[in-house]
Amino acid sequence: MLEVRDLHVQYGRLVALRGVSFSIAEGEIACIVGPNGAGKSTTLLTVSGVLKPTRGEVIYDGKPISGLSPEAIAGLGVTQVPEGRHIFTGLTIEENLRVGAALRRDRDETRKDMERIYETFPILGQRKTQAAGKLSGGEQQMLAIGRALMSRPKLMTIDEPSLGLAPKIVDRVYEVLTELRASRGLTLLIVEQSSERALKAADRLHVLRNGEMQLSGRAADLKDGAEVHKAYFGFTKEHSGEVMI
Amino acid sequence: MAFALQVLIDGLSLGSFYALAALGIGLLFGVLKLINFAHGAFITFGAYALILPSAATEATLGIGALPAIPLVILIVGVVVALALLSEFAVFRPLRDSSPATLMVGSFALGFVIQNLIIMIYGGRPKAVGLWSDLSAGVTLMEGVSVPKLQLIIIGVTISLMLALVFFLKKTRWGIHMRAAAEDFRMARMLGVKADLVIMLAVAISGMLAAAVSLLYVVQTGILDFRMGVPMMLFAFIATVVGGMGSLVGAVAGGFAVGMLSILLQTFLPSDIRAYRDVFVFLVVIVVLLMRPQGLFLSSAVRERV
Repeated sequence: MLEVRDLHVQYGRLVALRGVSFSIAEGEIACIVGPNGAGKSTTLLTVSGVLKPTRGEVIYDGKPISGLSPEAIAGLGVTQVPEGRHIFTGLTIEENLRVGAALRRDRDETRKDMERIYETFPILGQRKTQAAGKLSGGEQQMLAIGRALMSRPKLMTIDEPSLGLAPKIVDRVYEVLTELRASRGLTLLIVEQSSERALKAADRLHVLRNGEMQLSGRAADLKDGAEVHKAYFGFTKEHSGEVMI
Repeated sequence: MAFALQVLIDGLSLGSFYALAALGIGLLFGVLKLINFAHGAFITFGAYALILPSAATEATLGIGALPAIPLVILIVGVVVALALLSEFAVFRPLRDSSPATLMVGSFALGFVIQNLIIMIYGGRPKAVGLWSDLSAGVTLMEGVSVPKLQLIIIGVTISLMLALVFFLKKTRWGIHMRAAAEDFRMARMLGVKADLVIMLAVAISGMLAAAVSLLYVVQTGILDFRMGVPMMLFAFIATVVGGMGSLVGAVAGGFAVGMLSILLQTFLPSDIRAYRDVFVFLVVIVVLLMRPQGLFLSSAVRERV
């Protein structure tokens, strides 16, 4: 479904990605983990068209999309829940969802989708006319996911969904994401700093460090952890066996 | 009581000009982070569009000789066209530059438009009698008579504001515009069409400028190539006092500055009345010392801190 080939991205003279390649199959949950500054967010922003690669390309459904504008890429069914969620705090919850449906013209269906999101996240339905800025961090994360769903995406990328949230809420976020794959056949690309929870949810794991892909493999094959540890930190852990990162 | 009403209406009608101009400026600041120094030139251009292009001292009405409805449509059309042209020629090419570059660009654009006006129409002020019957007085109550025009100015301003509120709150494009004003990149990632939203904001800003052009010419009866500048200056003060980025603040700031000017005009001793604006600015400075973020802090600004 998505293929990233030899991606190079720079911020001015600062090189953020140096030849990153990976691919995602339809209906898969893929997870990119890596330390701070590895290039995870850069990868997602390039997939969304916010950043332009200096070399390499992003292929979606067989077509190169790296030259398209963010709104055009959104129109193809690729949506992003960015780091820090970026909900529109001055808009109401309902208006946030309406912006999520920016590309749609089918009013009745949009309405129904909104109701579905209120069913999944009852707190959003109860407070739909309130300013979104009043929501707690966990609720904002739910809203950001709901807003992304309003476009009926085929591929959803999520940047650090657990950032700043209590463990219990992170569990709920992952529960929702896993359900979404099951109920809608949504393909997910999740970026996380810690791989523990991601490993549980993901089918495929990619470890990114220093702008290079260190390791890619089926999550089931990487349960042991030692290999992931080495890819993540760049050195072997003495007593392997448990996932510490 | 009668006196208070008179002062109130004077203040509201002067404040209407500032509020309309401040809205036009505030809208573009919200979406583009552009401090548009060309807004005053937009206002002036709309006013000059009423007369035939000529450097003669006597003005001959062109569009201004038409009946009210086509006249308003054409003047609004001219200013919107000028605003959109500015967007394509200046603002869009500079969109990814820093806000400072954009601001300097708009400053240059303002000068270009102003000098174009001098080239075409000459630099001398011209008298224009447009809808002069509107200056006839209306008796509101015992001892209170105000020009019909003042009531029209206040009415038009309030109607335009209500229309803008409806547009921003209830329509699809209005909601997209508010989202884009808050977080442009995020809005684009959700599929909001950036170019269209910006063009729309620029067009509405032009519409608001045209409203000021018309009302101002009817009130003063004079065309001057500098006429938009003081209007813009006071509008900037209004947006800063209200809180940069807040439209409610821009409107409230506009009315507050208008009201303050009229109050000073009324109560200052006659020999220092000529320096009214000095006192207006003095109050503005005091307000900003106490509330540097403006009276109405916008949510967009709050988030960025």
